[in-house]
Amino acid sequence: MAINISNSQNRDAVVAVEGLLGKQEIRYVDAKGHPTGNRRILKADSEHELPILMKKQKTLEKVAQLLIKGDPEIDIELTGMFLTDTSKVYVSPNGIVHLVEEYELIYKPDGELRERRLREKTAQNMNSDVPVRWTGKFVKKQEAVRKFVFTNTKQVVHINGLTFDFLYQMAEDLDKKESLLLLRGGEKGDEPIVMNRGGKPYNAFLEGRVKDSSYLLLLHLSNMELKRPQGVAANGR
Amino acid sequence: MPKNLKLSLDGNEFEVTLTKVDREDLYGTVEIEAFDEKGKPAVLKVLAADGKTLIEKGGTALAAVNEKGDSIERSELTAVDLDGKEITRVESSFNQVNELKKADVDSYLGLVVKSVYVLDAAEESDIEYLKQHLASKQMYIFPFSYRGGLDYDSAYIVGDEKNDAFMIVGKDGDLEYVKLNQTGVLSSNEEQDISADDISFDLL
Repeated sequence: MAINISNSQNRDAVVAVEGLLGKQEIRYVDAKGHPTGNRRILKADSEHELPILMKKQKTLEKVAQLLIKGDPEIDIELTGMFLTDTSKVYVSPNGIVHLVEEYELIYKPDGELRERRLREKTAQNMNSDVPVRWTGKFVKKQEAVRKFVFTNTKQVVHINGLTFDFLYQMAEDLDKKESLLLLRGGEKGDEPIVMNRGGKPYNAFLEGRVKDSSYLLLLHLSNMELKRPQGVAANGR
Repeated sequence: MPKNLKLSLDGNEFEVTLTKVDREDLYGTVEIEAFDEKGKPAVLKVLAADGKTLIEKGGTALAAVNEKGDSIERSELTAVDLDGKEITRVESSFNQVNELKKADVDSYLGLVVKSVYVLDAAEESDIEYLKQHLASKQMYIFPFSYRGGLDYDSAYIVGDEKNDAFMIVGKDGDLEYVKLNQTGVLSSNEEQDISADDISFDLL
C-alpha cells in the first residue's frame, strides 16, 4: 500500500505503508516435526447448502433421509478444493448482480434505527494527487493514549534513498516532540483518512522514533475513543 | 455470572469485573441493504476463482496442511516456539493473581489491539489505589489470557480522561526500525472495494 504524504515544509512524496503484525512466536508442526500451514478450503458451495436441498426435497425429514442414505451436501469435484483469488459478489434470485443499489441502515448504540440512506462510497484519500497533510497539530503521547483506541497501526517506510532522508527527518522531528501528529486528507486537508474506496474513515496520527541511523514511523489509526459507553454503569451493563 | 479478575499493584490485591467495549457500543452500527436492477434483494456471497462457484457465508473452512499440501487432523499438530520446543500451555488469567507492572507509552503504542474492556471494582473490592495511579498518567501491563491457551497476550491498564480504568488487550507489534538499505515496496492495488460489512460512519 502507498501513501502520498507531506512533511512540515509542505514537500510531499509517495512512500510505502506496511501492516504492523503481532509478534509470531508460535508455529505448528506435524508428527514428524515438519512445519505445517493453513489453507482455506471449500466446505460447500451454494448449490449444496440446506436451502437448496430443502427446495428439492420440500421437507426437513426428506433432507434427513437423503443425508442418511448419501452425501447430497457434497460435490465430489468441488468440496475440499483450495480457495485462492476469491471475490465478493452480490447475488439476487436472478443471479450475480452487476448493478447494485445499496442502502445504509444506521442504528444508534441502543439499537434504534436512526437513518436509512443511499450508500455513497467515499474515495480513498491516502494515495491520491492531494497528499495527506502534515497539519502541525500535535497531541502528547500521554494524552493521546488516554483519549483514543488505536484500532489499526501501520508502519510507513521509504522506497528509495531520497525518501529515506524525507521520512528519517519526519521521524526525528516527531521523536523530539514526544507527540503524535494529526494527519488529514482531502483537498482542504480536513478529512479523516480513508484507505480503500468505501472503507472506514479513521483519525490518523503519525508517531516517529529514531535510533542511530534508523527510524520508525508509525501511522496510528483510530475510529474509537477510550470512554465508557453510555448505559454501561459501573459493574457491567 | 462473569468471573472477577484478580490484580495486584504494589502488593495491594483487588478484584475487577470486565465489560467488553466495542465501537458499536459507542457509536452504533451500520447495516447494508442491497437490491438488484429489478429491486430484488441481493446478498453478498463469495465467488471462487473459477468465476461460477458461489459460496455462502460459512461455506469455507481453514484446513491444516503439510508441506506437500495434504490436509492433517488438528489433533496431530504440535505447537512449538521459534526454537522448535513444544509450548507449555498457559493458565487463564482468571485463575491467578495478576501482578501489574509499570508500562511505558512507547511499548503501548506498539500494541496490535484485539479488544478493550472497561474495568470496575468487583463487589467488596476497591480499586481507588489503581485509579489514583492511573490519574497520574501511569499505565500498567500484565500477561493476559482469557481462557488459557498457547501464549499470553499483553494487557495494558490505562485510565481515560474521566479516570475510568480500561484494559486494552493485544499482541506486541513486531516493530522494526528501518535503515537506508531496507526499502519498502509500493503495491499496485491501492484502490479496491471492500466488504460491505467493513463500512462505518460515525467517526469519533
